Amino acid sequence: MLMTTNRAKNLAVFRAELWESFFMAMQALAAHKLRSALTLLGVMVGVFSIIMVMTAVRVLQNNIETGLSELGAHTFTVEKWPAISFEGPKGWEKYRRRKNLRLQHVRQLRDQATLARSVSAETWLWSGEASSRYATTNPDAGLTGVTPEAFAAKNWIVEDGRALLNSDLESARNVCVLGNSLKKKLFPFGGSPLGQAVKFQGANYTVVGVLEPKGGLFGQQQDNFLAIPITTGLNRYGSERRSLAIYVQAWSQQDYDDTVEQVRGALRAIRKVPPGEEDDFEIFSNDTLIQQFRGLTLAVRVGVAIISSIALVAAGIGIMNIMLVSVTERTREIGIRRAIGAKKRHILTQFIMEAVAICEVGGVIGVALGILGGNAAAIYFKAPPVIPVDWMLFGLLICSVVGIVFGTYPAFKAANLDPIESLRYE
Amino acid sequence: MNFLTELREGLAISWDALRANKMRSGLTTLGIVIGIVTVTLMGTAIEGLNAAFLRSISAIGTDVLYIQKFAWFSDEPWWKIRNRREIWLADGRSFMRQANPAWKVCLESVSIRTLKYKQRTATGVILIGDTEEAAVVGGLNLSEGRFLSAAEVDGARPVCVIGADLARSFFPQGSAVGNKIRIDNASFEVVGAIEKRGKFLGLENLDNTCYVPVTRFAAGFVFRPGIRITVKVGDLANIEDAKEEVRGVMRKVRRLAPGDPDDFAVNSQEAFITTFNRMSRVIASVGLFITGLSLFVGGIGIMNIMFVSVAERTREIGIRKAIGAKRRTILIQFLIEASTICLLGGWIGLAIAFPISKVMTRLLPASMSITVVTVALLVSILTGVLAGLFPAWRAARMNPVEALRNE
Repeated sequence: MLMTTNRAKNLAVFRAELWESFFMAMQALAAHKLRSALTLLGVMVGVFSIIMVMTAVRVLQNNIETGLSELGAHTFTVEKWPAISFEGPKGWEKYRRRKNLRLQHVRQLRDQATLARSVSAETWLWSGEASSRYATTNPDAGLTGVTPEAFAAKNWIVEDGRALLNSDLESARNVCVLGNSLKKKLFPFGGSPLGQAVKFQGANYTVVGVLEPKGGLFGQQQDNFLAIPITTGLNRYGSERRSLAIYVQAWSQQDYDDTVEQVRGALRAIRKVPPGEEDDFEIFSNDTLIQQFRGLTLAVRVGVAIISSIALVAAGIGIMNIMLVSVTERTREIGIRRAIGAKKRHILTQFIMEAVAICEVGGVIGVALGILGGNAAAIYFKAPPVIPVDWMLFGLLICSVVGIVFGTYPAFKAANLDPIESLRYE
Repeated sequence: MNFLTELREGLAISWDALRANKMRSGLTTLGIVIGIVTVTLMGTAIEGLNAAFLRSISAIGTDVLYIQKFAWFSDEPWWKIRNRREIWLADGRSFMRQANPAWKVCLESVSIRTLKYKQRTATGVILIGDTEEAAVVGGLNLSEGRFLSAAEVDGARPVCVIGADLARSFFPQGSAVGNKIRIDNASFEVVGAIEKRGKFLGLENLDNTCYVPVTRFAAGFVFRPGIRITVKVGDLANIEDAKEEVRGVMRKVRRLAPGDPDDFAVNSQEAFITTFNRMSRVIASVGLFITGLSLFVGGIGIMNIMFVSVAERTREIGIRKAIGAKRRTILIQFLIEASTICLLGGWIGLAIAFPISKVMTRLLPASMSITVVTVALLVSILTGVLAGLFPAWRAARMNPVEALRNE
């Protein structure tokens, strides 16, 4: 019982000390307005430098990552080719020799992958001109063949009309679903495109649906395409020498890893890969792509972070300098405080508190300006602005660290002053 | 008291002041040192990047124009230019007939082949079909033998000139000239070897090449090759005019009606340089801005300390003014104090940055140039003056009576 009251009392005393130090720090700052303002400016610029650069980096990173993550939730891709490879011509040869992924494999996989919510396939067929009664596009419109489940896997949301159906696939109908920007180009006068014909490479496709707009990388359009049933596409453009992309959607994040393993095993069996041999296909998801991308850019990001934090070190030195001056000027005050019972610890907290207070105020302003400055990059690249909460917190934390690191020596010096000598100090 | 004496006195006083507060001066200088080191290194790195680039594109002569189907860097959508006609050998011959006699023209076509000499094999060799002027146009120096002759080009003779890497690997001792090597399965006599040239943009090895007559190239390796017409106009001052003239001749060769768009492109080194400059300018401005911030912070540190210094020495200023010092004298004194710190920081910064830039040389051909050094020192003095100006002004404007009364 005695112990707890003692502890509570200690805590209360400690809190009171902290408050007192804080108020004294604030008073000291207010007493030398110009000096505090300049020191604060230094810290502000230092923090601004880090936060601005890291915000700009984050803007670019987000932009590229949204471009990489075109798949829906819990979805992964199986392909013959790896997404990123640095193995040179020799590695390329290895991938080239792999068997193609065919529609037959997809069908078998669909039967065997019991954990998967859906298994779908896509193949890019052609780039060329598309035309409607009203307009003809540049020859950069894409034609892609898909199975109906691919809509969910690729996060395609139907805005108007319907998605492709299994019956479209079975009878290989000449129907298509338009990407949003292609719809705008082909039907510039508004009005529903449903039931209209779109001509691509001499074949007519009846429009049955339109997709919602998709964001693009650096303001580019990603939905300048029309999707047709994969069977129609394979009949028309050939299924030989063509490897499909398979999208597998898991039911939930918990099932994800199991689904990947099941698909891997099933596909190995379907493609008759002997035990012990490497997979003859690549499995990747948004996350693995993003991880690879982050790995590639890690060196750059670390380098930029280091260069941009140098200014903060310079600011820290400025703080230390000013704190030393402040200690010298207030030698008498320290002497009086020591004389009437302040311990070394109290003086130490007082001065460190002062340094941290300057740093924090400068830090908050610097973070705010840095986020604004960094988002100028977002405007330049026409990307959505970001608020990097982690860097904000990290910036403020770093400010405290700078305050403590560079405030400690002056505070230590102040705390170790001889009370008698300092009282005598003129 | 004349200006020089004032300067000398100011220098002495500020030196004493700096020595009186060693810790303080040291820390202030350290702030500037950090700024100068980062800015200098960034400047050196950027210069090194530029130097590396210029060195690696030097394989393209400054006065050489390349007439090709497509521009090297183009914003035009691909579907507008994909149907351009190939440039055939016949186009090239017709261009040669109509060309300005001052120009040196060669017709070139490229393919990748495997070369053999006895048991040795070289794969991925850049085989270039060329005409006799190519050595002059491309600035090739021969280490032995001679380049292809006009008669050999006209007669499609099976002769070749090999690059330095090939010469070294096929004929490590002795002369290459006079030996027969096999390109694919045809036998070619080596008539010359080219001196080492290095890599283009760090990617394409220019020494793994073999030149044969373009006529032979068309007969033996690529049926109806598309070619590149390379023109050395030999007039650096009017490169733009020459470009326009080349374009006119080429339009005639291609029989383009007035108003038709060009169905070819005239490329030059400039295209690389402008593209690179656009990138390097962004890198340079971002890099210098970020590193400049640390110098700015150092400058703020100086200003702050100078204010403290002025406040502490109010009495001293009062006394100096009372016994006749002018405003200018006080101003100079404090400006010198600030500049001395900065200049000192600048020198120390350079002394630290120099060895680091030596390490950087391993990655880039970066050397700390006189320009960077001068700019760094000027910037450090400027920082000192700018940072010192405000406190010095405050000191100079003090009322001597008030200053003397100050405790």
